Amino acid sequence: MGKTVLIVDDSSTMRQMVAYTLKGAGYEIVEAGNGKEAVSKLNGGAKPALVVTDLNMPEMDGITLIQEIRKMPAFKFTPILMLTTESADDKKKAGQAAGATGWIVKPFNPEQMLKVVQKVLPG
Amino acid sequence: MATDLSQFQDAFFEESSEHLTTIEDGLLQLEQRPDDLDLLNRIFRAAHSIKGNSGMFGFTAVGQFTHKMETLLDQLRNGKFFVTPEITDILLRSTDQLKILIEAARGGAAPETDLLLQLERELAAAAEGGEVPESASSTPSQTSPAAPAAASTTPSLHRFRITWAAPAWLFQRGLDPVRMIGELEDLGTIVLRRLDTSRFPEFESLDPESCYLTWTLELETSKEQAVVEGVFDFVRDGGELTIEECDQGRVTRNEPDSSSVTRHQLPVTSEGCEPKPLGEILVESGVVSRETLDNALSQQKRLGEILVEQHVATPQQISQALQKQGDTATQAKKGGDAASIRVDTGKIDKLINLVGELVITQSMLSSLGTRFDMSQLPILVERVAQLERNTREIQERVMGIRMLPIGSTFSRFPRLVRDLSGKAGKKIQLLLSGEETELDKTVIESIGDPLTHLVRNSADHGLEPPEERLAAGKPELGTIRMNAFHEGGSICITVEDDGRGLNRDKILAKALKQGLIANGEKLSDDQINGLIFRPGFSTADKITDVSGRGVGMDVVKKNIEALGGTVSIKTALGNGTTFTLKLPLTLAIIEGMTVRVGRESYIIPLVSILESIQPTASSVKTITGKGEVVEVRGSYHPIVRLSEAFSIEADCQDPTKAILVMLETEQERVAVMVDELLGQQQVVIKSLEKNFRKVEGIAGATILGDGTVSFILDVRGLIELSRHGLSVAA
Repeated sequence: MGKTVLIVDDSSTMRQMVAYTLKGAGYEIVEAGNGKEAVSKLNGGAKPALVVTDLNMPEMDGITLIQEIRKMPAFKFTPILMLTTESADDKKKAGQAAGATGWIVKPFNPEQMLKVVQKVLPG
Repeated sequence: MATDLSQFQDAFFEESSEHLTTIEDGLLQLEQRPDDLDLLNRIFRAAHSIKGNSGMFGFTAVGQFTHKMETLLDQLRNGKFFVTPEITDILLRSTDQLKILIEAARGGAAPETDLLLQLERELAAAAEGGEVPESASSTPSQTSPAAPAAASTTPSLHRFRITWAAPAWLFQRGLDPVRMIGELEDLGTIVLRRLDTSRFPEFESLDPESCYLTWTLELETSKEQAVVEGVFDFVRDGGELTIEECDQGRVTRNEPDSSSVTRHQLPVTSEGCEPKPLGEILVESGVVSRETLDNALSQQKRLGEILVEQHVATPQQISQALQKQGDTATQAKKGGDAASIRVDTGKIDKLINLVGELVITQSMLSSLGTRFDMSQLPILVERVAQLERNTREIQERVMGIRMLPIGSTFSRFPRLVRDLSGKAGKKIQLLLSGEETELDKTVIESIGDPLTHLVRNSADHGLEPPEERLAAGKPELGTIRMNAFHEGGSICITVEDDGRGLNRDKILAKALKQGLIANGEKLSDDQINGLIFRPGFSTADKITDVSGRGVGMDVVKKNIEALGGTVSIKTALGNGTTFTLKLPLTLAIIEGMTVRVGRESYIIPLVSILESIQPTASSVKTITGKGEVVEVRGSYHPIVRLSEAFSIEADCQDPTKAILVMLETEQERVAVMVDELLGQQQVVIKSLEKNFRKVEGIAGATILGDGTVSFILDVRGLIELSRHGLSVAA
C-alpha cells in the first residue's frame, strides 16, 4: 500500500493530472474540490501523508485550509505543498506563514512534481 | 540498511570489470605519457569506484587491496613522485591480482595469499618511496591514516561545508530535517557531520515542537552549489544557512575549536566513511606500537584451528566443512553467472519508439478489420506494408541490442603484447583500429581466444628479433596491427604483422616430415599456407613459453569455423603476414536460399552456395562406386539428390531438367539436386535440438512467410551422410 496523498483543487483537470502522476509513482489518491471538502475528508477519516493544495478555491481557499489543517492534532506535522504560480511570491510567504511546507510552481511537469513530493515525503 | 543490495551484485561485477579494463588500459598508456594527469585521474577514479562499490557489498578483501593501489595512485596523482616502469609494473600486477580477488568474491578460485601480501608490501613500499623529503620524518603508521582522506576525493568533486541553524518552526511546517539530510546524501557523500545542540533552552522553556538544532555537514558531490542550495529551498525564510565550497583536505583536518559549541558528534568518522580496524586506531592513538600490534595479530588463530585445539572438532571435520564452504561458493558462482548485457539507452529508446509505431499500426489494422469492405483494400495493403516495415525495423534494432563494439575484446591485447614483447625480447607496438565495429555478443565472446592465439603467433613467430630486423633493413620496432571492419553481411578482423612472413619451403619440409603431405605432392600457395592450421603443426625451432607447441592455429580455425566464419592468410616472405577472420554478424539470422524439392522447401545457407547450374546431358556421368558426378569446368563433383537424402518424391528425376546447386565446404564441393530455386531471404534459425533433438544433415528450422516450417540444411552434415549413402533420419 502506497502512501496516501490528498489533492485539493477546484479544477478537476488539475486534480486528474496530479492524481495520474502520483498514482504512477505508487501513491494512493484522495481528491477534494475545495478547502471545505478537504477538511471534511480529513475529519471523515482520510489519513494522507501529504496534502497538495491549490490556493485559489471557492468555499475555502488554500491558505485557510492550511491553517485549518495545522490546527488538527493528527496533521500538525503533515507536509503540505501548495500549487502556486511563479509570480505569486507573496502567496508563497502567506502560505508558509500559515504552515505550508513548500510549493510546486505551476505549470509543472510530472518529474518536477514528483521531485518536490519526494523531497518532503519521508522515505 | 535493510534494503537487499545483493540483487545489484551482478551489476557490480560487470561495472568492476569495466573499471579494471580502464585501469589496465590507462596504465599501459601511462607508460607512454607519464605526465598525463587526466589519465592518472581516470585510473584513480576507476580504482576508487571499485573500492567504494566493493564496500557496499561487503567484499572487504577487494576493498582493502584496492585501497592500497589507490594510495599509490593518489601519490602519483599528487605529483609526489614520477611514474616509472617499476611502478606501472607493480600496478599492473596488482590489477591482475585485483581481478582474481573480484573473481573470488564472485565465487571463483581463492587468490594466492602470498602473492597478495607480497604485492601489498610492494605497493606500500612504492607509496612510501614517493614521500616528499619534508615528511621523511614521519613514520609509516602516521602516513597511512592520512591516505584515505586524501584518497576519498577526486578533483572533479566539490566539497561544500554546510552550516544550517534550523528555524524553530521547522516541524510545524511539516518539514523533516532527516529527509533533508537524506536528500543531501543523494547528491554525494557526507564526509563530515556534526550536530550542535547549543541552542537548546533550559528544560522548562523547551518547546518540544520547535527545532533548536544546528548541523555542520561536509558534502562531497559532483553537483554544483545551486543544486545543494536547492535542498534548502523551503527553509530560506528562517534560520541560518551558509554553504561554502571548501578547499578539500585542509578543512577535514582543520578540527573546529573543541569549544563549547560542539557537544555531540554523530558517530561518523571524518575520514571517508570507512571505520578503521581496531589495531590501526590503537597504533594511531599511541596505545600500542606497530610492532606490538603486528605481534598480537600474528597470534590470531583461525576458527578451525581454535576448534581443533579445544578438541571440539577434528581436523578432518574442519577440512570437510571448508570444502563444503568452497563448494557452495562455486555453486553460487554458477547460479550468478546469468549473462547480462549493457545496452546503450539510446538503442532502447529507439526500440520503444518503434514498438509504439507498431502498436499504432496494429490498432489501425484492427479498426480496419471491424468494418471492412472491399473498397478499403488499398488501405489494407498500405497498412500491411507499414506493418512489414515496422517489423523489419524492430528486428534490426533488437539484433542491434546484441551488438557490441569489438573494442572490449581488443582492449586486452595491448597488455598481452606488452607482456609478450618482454618475454620474447622483441620490441613490438600494437596498433588497433575499428574498435567501434559492432558484432553479436556471442561472436564477441567466442573470438577472444582465437585472436589471442593469432596475436601470440604474430609476436612469437611472425616478428623477428631486433637484430634480425635490423639486418633485413627493417625498423627495430615490430608492428602488429589489428583491425575490424564490416564487409557486406560479415565482419572482418585482421591481425597483421610486418615480420618475416610464412616460409613456404620450411612449411613444406616440415609437413613432409610430419607426414601431413605426400612426397612430390603439388600444392598451391593457399594450400601450403593452410597447412599451418593442421593439428600438431609447428615450424618453430624451439618451444617457447609463448607458442610453438603446435596447438593453437588448428584451434583458431576450428573455433572460427564453428562460428560460421573463415580464416584466410596473406603472406609474403620477409614482408609479414595478415590473418583475416571473416565472421557472420550474428548467429541467429542467416541469409538463405529457399529451394523446392517436390512439395517440400528447404533453406540452404547462402555462404555455402557457389553457383547454381543446369547441366547438359554430357556433363553428368555415373562412376562406379561413386555414384553420379557432374563435370563443372573440368573437375568432377558428386551429385546429391535432396529427394533421396530426405526420402521424398521429386518432380525431376533427370539432372538436366533439375537444378544443381553447387555447395562448398572446406573439404570438397558437391552438387545438390533440387527442383526449383524459390528465392533468397533472411531466415531466423530456430533450434531443432532445443525443441526436438539433433538431426544429422539439418542445422535447424525456420518458419516461412506462408507459415510452413522449412528445414535449414547443414551442408557439411548432408555431404557426410550422402557419402555413406544414408538419408536424413528425422
